[in-house]
Amino acid sequence: MTKGRKIIKVVIIGEKSVGKTSILRRYVDKRFVTLKPTIGVDFVMVSENMVTLQLWDTSGQERFRSLEISYYRGADYCILVFDVTNEKTLYDLKLWRDDFIEKTEIRDPILFPFIILGNKIDDPNRVVTEKAAIQWCKDNIGGNLTYFDTSAKDNINIEQVFKHISNQCENQPQSNEIPPEQLISLTEKKSNQSSCC
Amino acid sequence: MDEHYDVIVLGTGLKECIISGLLSVDGKKVLHMDRNGYYGGESASLNMNQLWEKSHGKEKKAPETLGSSRDYNVDLIPKFILSSGLLVKMLLHTDVTRYLDFKVVDGSYVYSSGKINKVPSTDTEALTSSLVGLLDKLPLRKFFIFVQNYEENNPATHDGLNLKITTMDALFKKYGLRENIVDFIGHALALYLDDSYLQQPAHDTIMRMKLYADSLARYSKSPYIYPLYGLGELPQAFARLSAIYGGTYMLNKPIENIVFDEEKKIIKVTSEGETVTCDKIVCDPSYFPNKVQKKGKIIRSICILNGPIPSADKKFESLQIIIPQKQVKRQSDMYVGVMSSAHCVCPKGKYIAIVSATVETNEPEKELAPAYALLGPIQEKFVYISDFIEPIADGTADNVFISKSYDATSHFETTCEDVMDMYKRITGKDLVLTVHPNILKQQEEAGNQEQEEQ
Repeated sequence: MTKGRKIIKVVIIGEKSVGKTSILRRYVDKRFVTLKPTIGVDFVMVSENMVTLQLWDTSGQERFRSLEISYYRGADYCILVFDVTNEKTLYDLKLWRDDFIEKTEIRDPILFPFIILGNKIDDPNRVVTEKAAIQWCKDNIGGNLTYFDTSAKDNINIEQVFKHISNQCENQPQSNEIPPEQLISLTEKKSNQSSCC
Repeated sequence: MDEHYDVIVLGTGLKECIISGLLSVDGKKVLHMDRNGYYGGESASLNMNQLWEKSHGKEKKAPETLGSSRDYNVDLIPKFILSSGLLVKMLLHTDVTRYLDFKVVDGSYVYSSGKINKVPSTDTEALTSSLVGLLDKLPLRKFFIFVQNYEENNPATHDGLNLKITTMDALFKKYGLRENIVDFIGHALALYLDDSYLQQPAHDTIMRMKLYADSLARYSKSPYIYPLYGLGELPQAFARLSAIYGGTYMLNKPIENIVFDEEKKIIKVTSEGETVTCDKIVCDPSYFPNKVQKKGKIIRSICILNGPIPSADKKFESLQIIIPQKQVKRQSDMYVGVMSSAHCVCPKGKYIAIVSATVETNEPEKELAPAYALLGPIQEKFVYISDFIEPIADGTADNVFISKSYDATSHFETTCEDVMDMYKRITGKDLVLTVHPNILKQQEEAGNQEQEEQ
């Protein structure tokens, strides 16, 4: 882990094929690649201003609602993504938000920051307007919400989402409760010390 | 669904998740299902609501004095990870370490003459420990030097012996080690459950002692590490590995039917009315009751305590107690693992002590009395008796590869050996554990950075 720098864990969830991986790829790699349903993307650390964002993709386990508790654990931000050409993916965000809250240890779900992304606004078949989406989210999800229209394909608002997170986090205390020095590293090379009790 | 898979894995226990991860990385098309709504199966870590429901049914609710349900991550199978053991090698082989955080277990104790003694973790502690009598220190020191220097392929280190033939009992006698020392070495260092190793060739015991010493040297304090949030993190980590490489995951999937199509040489698996096909099945024993056999019983008692156990160092937030069989007139050892909020497995102020033992009588819980006596007041207790189950066949005939259930040992070596054996049978290849290239790269970068800082 990066020492000294604040680490913010961000998880991104939503129905399959709404563009979660493309959004992360667009932000991380600054390029858009048409992808098969998620293969091989994991988590990545990105420095943004004075914080380090630890961005977690779902690895496809969301397809059958089989995300692990450990995927969600310790998340500081939750990004909920739907596809503006498919109303059902918006309505299912409530299920995803509920799944997140059930599986995490959030003390106050009302205060926890969720970011809603309406992705694929480049698509001429848009059926969910920004206004309707914001209203639906307020009515059905509520709490601490921030909404962005996005397009991973045309790189619209992607940077703004993650800048928003880093700006919000800069002034907040580190949420991690475990002193890092108590954690051991399995990947360090073995020391030369030997002992025989 | 309605697809063909190379392998369908049933049950998300640790063994099944490791194999799922390995096969997906190998490029196999894997579908992994579990009837439960959580990962881990028999090797899960449960929150208090889940644990309470498991033992009390859905009607009653856990008392509020136990604290928040979600603060609990209680292991159903209590084990510790040896720092240089096979499980760590598997974590490094797959680069699954990135999903997990570990702390060293604070200490290990062995029960002797009616009380517990700390297993020495330094030379100084060893010299002053009451476990070793004055007259025993010199022979023991000679023996330890022999073990430390022993190299399987270097006859000069063998002291004229062939440890593939000489029994451990004979080796102990050669070094003049008395019964109480033998007990300590065999059970607290080589971690044997019983005394059958004494009549076996000494080689395996020596290798186990070296594993213990290597593990202890790795982080000091104790040879064990343990993940934050409980052992249930391990199957989740390997499941994520599988998913990253294309594995498909379905929780809450009961299996109604499994049919073997002899003509097409495929297996049909039906869940909730949908059928998929595969070439091979990998599963835990619960999915094929008619293909497994029972080999004894294990009792595990999960005890919630309101403070550290009175007989050990109060500052220890995690520890193991080994109760060797002879000390309590049993046929096999009992183990106690104690964890606390330091490892994020229960609320602050609570401790979880899990006692486990092979069942030897018709009154299994009474057998645990010597362990209970060490714990102080117990606020709540959850007692489980499980069969130890093994597959009848090795799977090569019907392409159903069934794992063994989890034994009473206090570590994961036998678990990993079963995984490696299954992997060989499933793929026809040995699993060769090497450090993942990503980790080698990290180590190289860290090494370069150190040189720059000098």
